[in-house]
Amino acid sequence: MKFSKLLAVGALSLSALISSVQAAESVKVGVLHSLSGTMAISETSLRDILLFTFDEINAKGGVLGKKIEPVVVDGASDWPLFAEKAKQLLEQDEVAVTFGCWTSVSRKSVLPVYEKNNGLLFYPVQYEGEEESQNVFYTAEAVNQQATPAVDYLLEQGYTKFYLLGTDYVYPQTTNLVLLEYLLSKGVPIENIGGGFRRDGDGDVISAGKYTGFGHTDYQQIISEIKQFAAGGDTAVISTLNGDTNVPFFKEYAAAGLSAETCPVVSFSISEDEFRGLPADQLVGQLGCWTYFQSIESPANEKFVADFQAWLAKSNVTGLVKEGRVTCSPMVLSYAGVYLWKAAVEKAGSFDVDKVRMALKSGLSFDGPGGTVTTQPNMHLTKNVFIGETKANGQFEILEEFEGVYGEPWLKGKFK
Amino acid sequence: MKIIHTHRWLVIYALLLWGGNSVGAATSREVIAEAMLASNDREKIAIIDTLAGLGDADLAALLAAWKRDELFVFSDTNGSKTPVLIPGGQDAFDTAVPQTILGQVILVDGSGEVVVPTRDTMDRVRHNNRLRRAMKRVLDLMDLGSEAAGKRLQAVQTIGFSRDLDNLPVLEARLAIEENGQVHQALRQAIALVQLNHAEPVVRLAAVKELGKIHSLSSTDALTSILADATKAGDQALVAAATSALREVEEHRSVVDFVGTIFRGLSLGSILLVVALGLAITFGLMGVINMAHGEMIAVGAYTTYLVQNIFGAGIVIPAFGLSIGIPGMNLEGWGYELYFVAAVPASFLMAALVGIALERGIIQFLYRRPLESLLATWGVSLVLQQVFKLMFGANNVQVSSPSYLSGNWTVADIVFGWNRVFVIGFAILIVFGVWLALNKTSLGLLIRAVMQNRSMAGFMGVRTARVNMLTFGLGSGLAGLAGAFLSQIGNVGPSLGQAYIVDSFMVVVVGGVGNIAGTVISAFGIGGIDQVLQQYLPVWAPGLGWVPFFGGFLQNLAQDSSVFGKILVLAFIILFLQWRPAGIFARKGRQLDE
Repeated sequence: MKFSKLLAVGALSLSALISSVQAAESVKVGVLHSLSGTMAISETSLRDILLFTFDEINAKGGVLGKKIEPVVVDGASDWPLFAEKAKQLLEQDEVAVTFGCWTSVSRKSVLPVYEKNNGLLFYPVQYEGEEESQNVFYTAEAVNQQATPAVDYLLEQGYTKFYLLGTDYVYPQTTNLVLLEYLLSKGVPIENIGGGFRRDGDGDVISAGKYTGFGHTDYQQIISEIKQFAAGGDTAVISTLNGDTNVPFFKEYAAAGLSAETCPVVSFSISEDEFRGLPADQLVGQLGCWTYFQSIESPANEKFVADFQAWLAKSNVTGLVKEGRVTCSPMVLSYAGVYLWKAAVEKAGSFDVDKVRMALKSGLSFDGPGGTVTTQPNMHLTKNVFIGETKANGQFEILEEFEGVYGEPWLKGKFK
Repeated sequence: MKIIHTHRWLVIYALLLWGGNSVGAATSREVIAEAMLASNDREKIAIIDTLAGLGDADLAALLAAWKRDELFVFSDTNGSKTPVLIPGGQDAFDTAVPQTILGQVILVDGSGEVVVPTRDTMDRVRHNNRLRRAMKRVLDLMDLGSEAAGKRLQAVQTIGFSRDLDNLPVLEARLAIEENGQVHQALRQAIALVQLNHAEPVVRLAAVKELGKIHSLSSTDALTSILADATKAGDQALVAAATSALREVEEHRSVVDFVGTIFRGLSLGSILLVVALGLAITFGLMGVINMAHGEMIAVGAYTTYLVQNIFGAGIVIPAFGLSIGIPGMNLEGWGYELYFVAAVPASFLMAALVGIALERGIIQFLYRRPLESLLATWGVSLVLQQVFKLMFGANNVQVSSPSYLSGNWTVADIVFGWNRVFVIGFAILIVFGVWLALNKTSLGLLIRAVMQNRSMAGFMGVRTARVNMLTFGLGSGLAGLAGAFLSQIGNVGPSLGQAYIVDSFMVVVVGGVGNIAGTVISAFGIGGIDQVLQQYLPVWAPGLGWVPFFGGFLQNLAQDSSVFGKILVLAFIILFLQWRPAGIFARKGRQLDE
């Protein structure tokens, strides 16, 4: 027994051929999310949904006959650590694909690692675009799959003034610049866009809207500005405020006598999952825009939600929160990403990254909880976009649906 | 529908002046049934608009049912559609009996059986912000005759913004009999806003002058567009009137901004003060570099959350593998909202107890080793954060704001949020309380004696250990109070304390360690400067282009005033401490026994 084990270890280290035979029953897949630190609240949900998806696929026979073997690593909300963990996944564990990252800065930090090792990363969270790596597949919402449809909806509803507000980092800054161009192209005069502008030496706008830092708590001044801006009616706030800064913002907003009927807020960073830590009953009537809502009434979605809850109930993953769980857009895009990768591998007949990429670019479709999604040659997804209104139970009432919106990462300067 | 439209004004007139009943041809039931069947939102809104003035008893009830998701359209097998009301909505499908809107009878199918609603046959009539606004307008017109001044005020404002000339007679009729000053003012503004759309140039001119006279902030957009139109049309009189009206509005706005800034500065200062006061005692007076101060604040905030749940449905805390269930009192309405009154003293006591335990367990051994107290309390802060996570989860918890803390007073366009007024009043109260405790009680005398010279006080027979314990308890309790208040304006989560620890030390150090009066001045100073910068950076910054090298940078400060305001405040503090290293009031306290 001991001798044969030793022999196996020796053989493994000697021959790549044998190692591939050894791994015949399973394929290693990386999961790279923050399971500790500030981002853990959001990212742990993505780990959970990925593990659920792997179990679902494995129960039906795996991918190309191999079981998925997840390698879960913790990025710990520490961006350089993300790069180290990515390196470990690619060089030590030799994973076939990685699902991971939430913040744009974590994606930017692992990007060189994936490009150097020719790895493949599936990225599931709304982002600012202006990027198209051959080693990243963006299941994420591009700006034109979230922000511009929301503006279309607001314009159609007769809103004429827009106040831009966000947390001070790359996603809100880029989104608001694109939105500024988009609003101007729709004939909204620049005086009707609130929040202020920063210009460079030539007078070109390099930043639009009002920004506050992470963890900002004092929104008195900004609310009083919004209140004056909205005094003439028909005004909406477009908010890219992140996570828990929304609580002081909305408390101040309510205290100043603003409401969804007088001046609604459309938020791009609040999904069902975020409502677990927000007072949903104080946000009733505020708008959201995503490519999936848990409230979608379709058999596929109802089955997905029920299966996930059943998995939560019987799963014994350590640290898994079982109560009050919901599904949201980043989770569904993670879920769709795994199935698209599976489809691409099966089409290519191989786990080889170059072949899988070719297959992904050829336009694969997956009928998921949010409807059909289709891969594009630019490594993004065509998907449906929904506008929803918050209800007191933290779910969204769907108001409008845009079908089959093409994911376009390069939007700066497009609407000029 | 045409008929209703033309008779609308008569109807409203009748309603407002005599409080009479509807004389229109169609009842609100008929109109709402028609709206429910309309194919899109635009049509629905148009139909709902015609309801304006239909004041029959059903209207408010039906619209409320619509908002509660109790209205459905029933499609039977041959495709005909019937609007129905199902009390309880979708959740009550099993038990509810659908009632037709039009006939107000129980819905039966072809064979006379009562229809059992299902998701397939019942289509919920949805509503969104726009539809609810249209409904609100209809209800507002009803509300114009309401007894409550607040309702009338809202109604007048909404009608004014709609700028619909049809509404003019109603508003004028109301103006003639309105007695409440605030509503009267709002009516004048609403009438003038509506008149801006009037066909007669004379009326428009008068309306512009009126808006200037009443300093109507809401009319800035309308005035600006009138000015642009008038300039294009070459109407000199109107251009002049609009320009001067806009100037008057702007002057009023600058007064509003100024008073508002002072108020916001006071409120931010109060928060800083409430947050730092406890530290002014544990660090300022006792000399303990208390890094766990922030977690004492969090203890107070979590206590508020606990008390809220005890007044409500109860709570289960899954702490350390045990599940501790605390039953709730299941109060509702005012009884529940009073939870905050109970939470304030509870937060103080809880944080004071934790503080006393901390002092007895760790800090009492470290009075002569301040740097080690820094490390030890920092460790305690990490442990406490983890305890919060274990007990309440890593997510933020929800603390609701009672209604008496979530409204506002608006005086001449200046908004005074009740939570802010409350925190200012409360800050004054606890500063007064602390001053009384330290200067007018025998315990205060002992505290001051021990803090000035511990050994000497000991020789005089003061039980210094006990005084230390109580002083630390007082400081921690004050931090707990701060937590109760922060729960009303921000997040309650495990890292709550971390957000305030730096601010607290800053306030105490700038004020002068060991001096409560210094803490007060420094808190209001920092709060005031921060708000002034946030308010006026956008005004001043564009004029700073002349500064060599930094001109472009400074001009751009306008946009990020909240971020740069904070940075500038920190820069001021650094410079200030260079000038006066010991803070505003340098005083010798604990240093004597070192």
